[in-house]
Amino acid sequence: MKTRVLRWTVLSGFAAFVLWYAFGYGDRSFENLCPFGGVASLYGLATGGEFTCSLGPANLSLLIGIVVLALIAKRAFCGWVCPLGFIGELIYRLREKVTRKRVKTIPPRLNAWLKPLRYIVLVLVLYFTWQTGDLIFRGYDPFYAIFSGMGHGTLGWITWSILAIFLIGSWFVPMFFCRYFCPLAATLDPFSRLGLIKVSRNAETCIDCNKCHKVCPHDLHPEKVDVLRHHDCTNCMECIDACPIAKCMTLKAKV
Amino acid sequence: MTIPRWVIPVLVVVFMFGGYGLRLAFTQPTTNVVFAEQTASGEMAKIEATVQGVKCKGTAGFFTKMYNETPGIYTIKTYASEHKAVFTYDPSVTSPDDIKAVMEKKLTFGDGSKRQIFTCLEMVEK
Ligand code: SF4
Ligand code: SF4
Ligand code: SF4
Repeated sequence: MKTRVLRWTVLSGFAAFVLWYAFGYGDRSFENLCPFGGVASLYGLATGGEFTCSLGPANLSLLIGIVVLALIAKRAFCGWVCPLGFIGELIYRLREKVTRKRVKTIPPRLNAWLKPLRYIVLVLVLYFTWQTGDLIFRGYDPFYAIFSGMGHGTLGWITWSILAIFLIGSWFVPMFFCRYFCPLAATLDPFSRLGLIKVSRNAETCIDCNKCHKVCPHDLHPEKVDVLRHHDCTNCMECIDACPIAKCMTLKAKV
Repeated sequence: MTIPRWVIPVLVVVFMFGGYGLRLAFTQPTTNVVFAEQTASGEMAKIEATVQGVKCKGTAGFFTKMYNETPGIYTIKTYASEHKAVFTYDPSVTSPDDIKAVMEKKLTFGDGSKRQIFTCLEMVEK
């Protein structure tokens, strides 16, 4: 079975769980299922022992869960759980189906220049959340806008514009929001860099066909290294599935 | 060491559900207000209310303020994500019915209209 079938099944399960909460069936509001809420809460907890705005214990405990997961399996949360990443992936896969072409990504240098934007987003979001004690980034967050159905705290045309940028960007650049804007990705990066389970390549059997690089949604280069340590790797295993040589690419536990 | 592929989804499911379950270990409230210290002679009772309308720090703060003038309340802790408020109070001065009546009081707004903001869905003695 191609890993993608299993991965999309798992992703659909988590998305359905969040939707169930978003429609009001769970015992709390769906914002409580966002691990980034745990990051946003840290200042309030450290200074006053209180959670910020509508955040609660689940935000913090889920954050702890995915940080430990990142230390073991890199950003597997992104490849296997996050509903927003899943929507982004579905959009660019749809484009591949419609145009029958693999999505051409943006030039490598521009890509490298844009990636640090997410650290700026992280600093800005935390600064303003901690200053105001309110979840002021809600209006700028496509996850909140989509799952709340443009609910309380969204900012009208500003939020609509951000949603439009998210949708159009995802059409043209795979994992557009994840690459350049996601503050949770920025939070997980240092832990993911240390992540134990990594994609590994057997240089002796590799035929340098480059297929593993071409399918990587994050434009990584598993064909150039023996062990891929890059923090952006989500262990989605698209590269392993694409490799034409049996057992050339595998997952390995490497420090 | 080579890792079979199925390990990743298993880890993902274990850590997501484990992380969600771990929430029970964190009991920090959204707001924590002490109105009066319990006196040596004063009795103490505790009640937990599920309140529709307590959903963030702002609404929780407003909710707590409604008890500024209520005698007999020692402390109120709110848990916005669970829409809960926990009261400690002196049962010789106030009662669960009084506490419920205060939160369900209709308030007068700037335009002259009167509205009830909070609804008590359940009260459990602790
Ligand atoms: S980078 Fe952010 S939006 Fe993308 S999958 Fe990861 S957590 Fe979700
Ligand atoms: S390197 Fe492979 S496993 Fe990592 S993100 Fe790219 S395709 Fe997925
Ligand atoms: S797909 Fe396999 S054979 Fe081709 S470059 Fe990548 S590791 Fe080598």
